[in-house]
Amino acid sequence: MARLELNAVGKSFGPVRCADDLSLAVEPGEIVAVFGPSGSGKTVLLRMIAGMFEPDKGDILVGGQSIVGAPPERRGIGMAFQNFALFPHMSAQDNIASGLRAKAAAGEVASRVKSISRLLKIEHVLGHMPRELSNGQKQRTALARALIGNPEVLLLDDPLRNVDAKLRYEMRLELPNLLRRSSAAVLYVTQDYREAMAIADRIAVLIDGRLVQIARPEEIYARPASVAVARLFGDPSINLAEVEPVAGQGSFNAQVAGTAVRLEAADREAADLGPCWLGVRPDDLVVTRQAGENAIPARIVAITPMHEKAVLLLRFSDGSEWLAALPQDSSMASAEDGVFVCFAPEAALLFDRATGLRVGLPYRRQAA
Amino acid sequence: MDHSSLAGRIFRGIALALVLVFFMFPIVWIFLMSFQTNEQILRIPPHILFEPTLANYQALISGQLRTTAGNLEISFIRNLMNSFALSSAAVVLALLLGVPAAYAFARFKFRLGETIAFTLLSFRFAPPLLVLLPLSLYYQQLGLNDTYFGIVWVYQLIALPLILWIVRGYFEDISPDIEHAYRLAGHSWREAFTRIAVPLAGPGIAAAGLLSFIFCWNNFVFALILASADKQPVTVGALAFVTASGIQYGQIAAAIVLSVTPTLLLALYAQRYLVEGLSLGAVKG
Amino acid sequence: MLEIRNVDKVYQSRGKPPVHAVRALDMEVGKGEIVALLGSSGCGKTSTLRMIAGFESVTSGAITLGQRRIDELPPARRKVAMAFEGYSLYPPLTVRENIAFALKAQQRSHGEVSRRVDAIARLVEIEDILDSYPRSISGGQQQRVSLARALVRDADLYLLDEPMGQLEPQLRAVLRGRIKGLLAERGMTAIFVTHDQTEASALADRIAVMEDGVLQQFASERELKEHPANLFVASFIGEPPMNLLETEVARADGGIRLSVGPEVTFRIEGRTLDQGARQMLEQTARIRVGIRPQKIAVGSGDVRVRVVSNQWLGDQSHVAGEYDGRLLIAVTPNKIAARPGDIIPFALEPRHLHLFGADGTCIRHAEAA
Repeated sequence: MARLELNAVGKSFGPVRCADDLSLAVEPGEIVAVFGPSGSGKTVLLRMIAGMFEPDKGDILVGGQSIVGAPPERRGIGMAFQNFALFPHMSAQDNIASGLRAKAAAGEVASRVKSISRLLKIEHVLGHMPRELSNGQKQRTALARALIGNPEVLLLDDPLRNVDAKLRYEMRLELPNLLRRSSAAVLYVTQDYREAMAIADRIAVLIDGRLVQIARPEEIYARPASVAVARLFGDPSINLAEVEPVAGQGSFNAQVAGTAVRLEAADREAADLGPCWLGVRPDDLVVTRQAGENAIPARIVAITPMHEKAVLLLRFSDGSEWLAALPQDSSMASAEDGVFVCFAPEAALLFDRATGLRVGLPYRRQAA
Repeated sequence: MDHSSLAGRIFRGIALALVLVFFMFPIVWIFLMSFQTNEQILRIPPHILFEPTLANYQALISGQLRTTAGNLEISFIRNLMNSFALSSAAVVLALLLGVPAAYAFARFKFRLGETIAFTLLSFRFAPPLLVLLPLSLYYQQLGLNDTYFGIVWVYQLIALPLILWIVRGYFEDISPDIEHAYRLAGHSWREAFTRIAVPLAGPGIAAAGLLSFIFCWNNFVFALILASADKQPVTVGALAFVTASGIQYGQIAAAIVLSVTPTLLLALYAQRYLVEGLSLGAVKG
Repeated sequence: MLEIRNVDKVYQSRGKPPVHAVRALDMEVGKGEIVALLGSSGCGKTSTLRMIAGFESVTSGAITLGQRRIDELPPARRKVAMAFEGYSLYPPLTVRENIAFALKAQQRSHGEVSRRVDAIARLVEIEDILDSYPRSISGGQQQRVSLARALVRDADLYLLDEPMGQLEPQLRAVLRGRIKGLLAERGMTAIFVTHDQTEASALADRIAVMEDGVLQQFASERELKEHPANLFVASFIGEPPMNLLETEVARADGGIRLSVGPEVTFRIEGRTLDQGARQMLEQTARIRVGIRPQKIAVGSGDVRVRVVSNQWLGDQSHVAGEYDGRLLIAVTPNKIAARPGDIIPFALEPRHLHLFGADGTCIRHAEAA
């Protein structure tokens, strides 16, 4: 099985840079999620690998061999599309069988179609035409078609986008096991950070055509490379405040909405910190009725239950707003004034306000 | 707002009947004329009831046109065969050239692509008489005058733009991802074209082919100028009924019935295909 | 405030059987209440909203708003404001003019119009695009303008059709909070349609779950989760959906015994069951037992599962385990260190179990929380 490698790949459409110096390696049997907001260049990246466009710069290698310039049919790539792209004039059976590039004997084709469709639980609809399939079945048929040829590289372009929430959840559990059975190098494009975290071994965060962080899901969640990455991971997304930390003894202080808050000296160069973004995840906030050190006075504007938690919209005296996610049985589950918000110093993330990069971690573009 | 009241239904029935009579009248009238003699036709006032005769059809099929001035040889059946041969050949050629071209225009963005496509379409706008004079001069020099191939070639002016523009639209409606998926499965672009694009655009190709067949069939001026009697289609052949002893309305009507019937059937058939083609677009992907 | 009394909606179209989109709908919405109509597509929720707004006629039944019967009035006289799913912004007007349109039509003073437009624009964060035209802004921005245009008006009732589906994910949670805060502060009554239960539970005081034109249950989010009226509501509400297990039921000295699988049985005391439930249980040998993924404790208990997948999403773990050939999903806020193939214990507590009879009705027992 082969490794997929991108070396400094670049691609522009007119003045728009869709891929800027992208470098990434995916090992055989590894699932890497390409995650980013819409328009960040995820689909263009997959299409360059699949051979629908050629990169302007850089090289794409499969098993050490460059595939740039090779026609799509000779790249050894399987792909599942967001809109399924089933052949409407062929039955599900023929759709899946078309994925067998080798002109295998009829008996073997039938048996392989049978085994892959059993795996994907679509045996009972093999005789149906695509228009007779539900979205979930279409998506499984498309996956079967991509998987059946045992491709060295598997590209999945947001395959769960067009299926309903329940099916998407089921597939989120099922897909990693399924993908690991084929030892292909898998690139999985998604716009849903939870899907990326659930399915992938590593996540490559793509923003405006640049890979800004490539790391394991927990790593990205805990130590996002930049404020933009931090905002993409987490629902509700991370709370931010503009701060100018002042170094103290073994710690430093920052003013959040007029209250001095002590932050941990995670960084020895605390004294050098200029204007920063302070980021705290809604889950890391504690809301109490007791005033105290590091506690920011706030008013609860509204409580919006979400994902089995109570999400509180808090407004500070300066008008800025933060969200806190508390357990649903918390006593704070009613709107009131005069509460206090605090957080553990180690829960705070700091980002340089000029560059957006996280402070205290050498910023590296390449995967470790 | 109630759609099912009795008065509403009666009114709608009457309105539909009126529209139907208005549109069907010429066809019905021609059909009736084709079973009448010239004398019956020219009677004033016209009679709805008459004794039908098959003389007009006999004359057309036997090729003997009896007029008061004597017997005339006409080659209506040959003209009819010519119409079939010329129109079919023109459509087959136009499909062979037009479908791949339409695919290229739909899938690839190349320099001057839009300009070329539009130029081809503009051939449909140009009055045929404008191009006929230079064309007949060229044809004489090339030796294409009065040849079947010459007419088939000039019919491309009619058929090719039509096929190109209709089929291009159908190709554009097919998601390129469907072809990409087929190519990634190890098939060349030629296979993707023949196994995926062409079958999916099939209803569109059929409809475009049928429409251009009808347009070729109906053409008059090109064959009138560029071909002689034995290679002319029915449209031109019908001129033979304007004889020295008067216009043979009965035979003209019979000739019209015979020559219109195939295109009428084709039109009904094409309509079915067009509808099917449009609804296929709704389920794609 | 709003009363919907025995309303039916039947769509007749020629040559097709009539479609019964809404059946015998009875609902009451109090003043200042926020209500969600939740269901999958084709469940009748949008027809209901459009009947309240006046874009669809009522086939039978009555709708009253305040003391007024409104179902025969034209939309303009119902005193309702609506935000449309397709936004329906006026293309030749700027964003500001779009929002101000209804206020200007009411002859409000210039100062008041601009003050109110500015306030609502700040709330939905569109101050910087007030002078743009609808076609030049993104879908998410258009949706916010459409929301602002509805909320800026004075109306007895606010109707919102899929109001937040297209919003940018980073903004969604904050806007939900702000809009809920605004509605509560002004005592505005609102009904919104959504297919997204996260949105319904975030915004609504009460949720009307609809399916096949029938109102299944109309209750608070908490009530829907803890006391679902039937199997449909139980499996529809909650993400991930409730675990459901076919279970044998037997009578055992004064109570019942549920055999979930090998070595795992639960006892439900007879005195915690009401008469109807007891009767139903006597007639059936198999029922379905449901438990929400969030109520399964991982790492203790006597249900030993083989881990199929274990996914950490940053704030919670989703652990799927196979037990007796069936999949059980548990969600916990803790990070779980199990790998696929490991055997770990799950704890299912009787008080978190939901029992459903063969016909899908819920069997109440006092041991349910």
